[in-house]
Amino acid sequence: MSTSTSGIPFRENTVPALRDKILRAAMSNATETFAVKRTDAMAGLPVEEWREQASALRMHVLDNLSDYVDRFAENAARAGANVHRAKDSEAAREIVASVLKDHRIGRVVKSKSMVSEEIHLNGHLEKEGITVVETDLGEYIIQIAGEGPSHIIVPAIHKDRRQVGKLFAEKLGCDYSDDPAVLTKVAQKVLRREFLSAKAGISGANFAVADSGSIVLFTNEGNGRMCTTLPPLHIAVLSIEKIIPSLADLPKFIRLLPRSATGQMITSYLSVITGSRKPGESTGAQEMHIVLLDNGRSELVRGEYREMFKCVRCGACLNACPVYRMVGGHAYGSTYPGPMGIVLTALLEGMERAGSLLDATTLCGACGDVCPVKVPLPKLLRKLRESRVEQGLTPKLEQSAMAGFGKIVKSPMLFHLGQMAGHLFWPIATKLGHSAGLGRMPRPVAKTFRERVS
Amino acid sequence: MTREEMIALFMENAGKVAAEPIRVRDYDEFGKVLNEALAETDSVFCPGLTEKENAVHIPPEKRTKEYVSASACIEEASAAIAETGSLVFSSEKGKPVQAGLLPGHHLAIVSSENIYETLDDYFSAIGSSPPTNITLETGPSRTADIELTLTIGVHGPGRLTVIVF
Repeated sequence: MSTSTSGIPFRENTVPALRDKILRAAMSNATETFAVKRTDAMAGLPVEEWREQASALRMHVLDNLSDYVDRFAENAARAGANVHRAKDSEAAREIVASVLKDHRIGRVVKSKSMVSEEIHLNGHLEKEGITVVETDLGEYIIQIAGEGPSHIIVPAIHKDRRQVGKLFAEKLGCDYSDDPAVLTKVAQKVLRREFLSAKAGISGANFAVADSGSIVLFTNEGNGRMCTTLPPLHIAVLSIEKIIPSLADLPKFIRLLPRSATGQMITSYLSVITGSRKPGESTGAQEMHIVLLDNGRSELVRGEYREMFKCVRCGACLNACPVYRMVGGHAYGSTYPGPMGIVLTALLEGMERAGSLLDATTLCGACGDVCPVKVPLPKLLRKLRESRVEQGLTPKLEQSAMAGFGKIVKSPMLFHLGQMAGHLFWPIATKLGHSAGLGRMPRPVAKTFRERVS
Repeated sequence: MTREEMIALFMENAGKVAAEPIRVRDYDEFGKVLNEALAETDSVFCPGLTEKENAVHIPPEKRTKEYVSASACIEEASAAIAETGSLVFSSEKGKPVQAGLLPGHHLAIVSSENIYETLDDYFSAIGSSPPTNITLETGPSRTADIELTLTIGVHGPGRLTVIVF
């Protein structure tokens, strides 16, 4: 777990985000499109039953997580994978770097992985002199732009086609175009060379299967397949809660994950990779490493926020969240944005750092409604807010205001005086409030409720 | 569900995700469909590991052993799933699963008896010792990473022809 104590300046981050017209348009277009596609893809299907089953299965794994991790590790090793267990981000980064250095590899191709973002893998490898080439189109765009992902499924969601066109022209020296098909071809050509010359590929995993020791990858572009089958060495980095018991359980998640993420019935590609290449086979990396990241999870799955770890990272709660829709992912200043991101960041990085993110929710409940595995996000967000108050991490002004309000409402006399003062000082208060950016305040009623009924 | 219904559902779902499903009933039709599909292709890779793959006639000047530089790959899928319109390729029996990923045009042969009705039917049948790589392929490669505009053919093939035989 990170011990960084500087808080994320969420409120400050939202100011430029809300003023950025391109960002606002891109966010509203994307989240709207996704939300509609998701709804269409679910129509007429027994989704409630699927969600119940998937939720129960995820909970069962979390309840027995250490057994499942052992079982997965054992079976993956039997299938020829080298399984490493990483206690925290630093350990995970070190393992990846040392495997690559042992093979004297200075350049790797990589497919999109949120866990690798969580452990800040790319920055660490670059420091060790290893060049990482992101190969998912969205990740490639933000990598050459020097940015982080703003959405867990579509990392470059905040950019419009003209920005991507300018970026490619500037960084890749190609002619400017704002046609997504042309830009896609440009990236494909550059990246095909990388795939064919790469000595190692890095991937994440959407799921890991305990009974077979397999990892499962959902992709649309084909880059994930290239990273895991073309180079002779494959390193998969995943967090321990991604485990499901057996391959027979996979269909439950195939039906829910792509539908929730992009509104697809299934992604173009779904790969089940089990260890390294066996004798007589012509597919599979000759050497495979699996890095199992804990980063506090084995403790957290026993605590009161355990249900968060059912999450399958589909991004549906981001698309449904009225705050995320307005400000986009970067304002959160964390690896994971949106409702699931607030909870995960608070759990993984601590309240002092992530407490400010708890303001990024209206508690409307939309996130909980769309979650395919029924993570009770509104409940978890409320609990975290309570805990933030208990830890004394809310703004000082808010604390004293709430303490004062508490005293006033406890005493009928003070309450009455307060109401009178409200009438008296309303013209001044509303002026001050307005100039402080608090917006308009409602005028107090002429006769209070108590005056009317007594 | 009868076999014919499964075939129909598979073809319908494959068609929905921009694959081009074609049904053939004998080797004559099979040959004709392949000839048409390959008319504009200059280099074709075919692993030649199954009876149907061996029945594929490719003019010698077009045949290549290098799938990396081929413009088309013809191969038989291990299975198919009607529920999702997916093809299944696996690394069993020395099959090169990645061969169908690199050329721009992927032609997949599906034996009608290898179609499963649901994802559950297929995944329950695998057991706990699968081959190193099993890949479900559903439609051509796609992305929507730029403004969510669907673009077909990114890293993988832009065209997927499915021949149900």
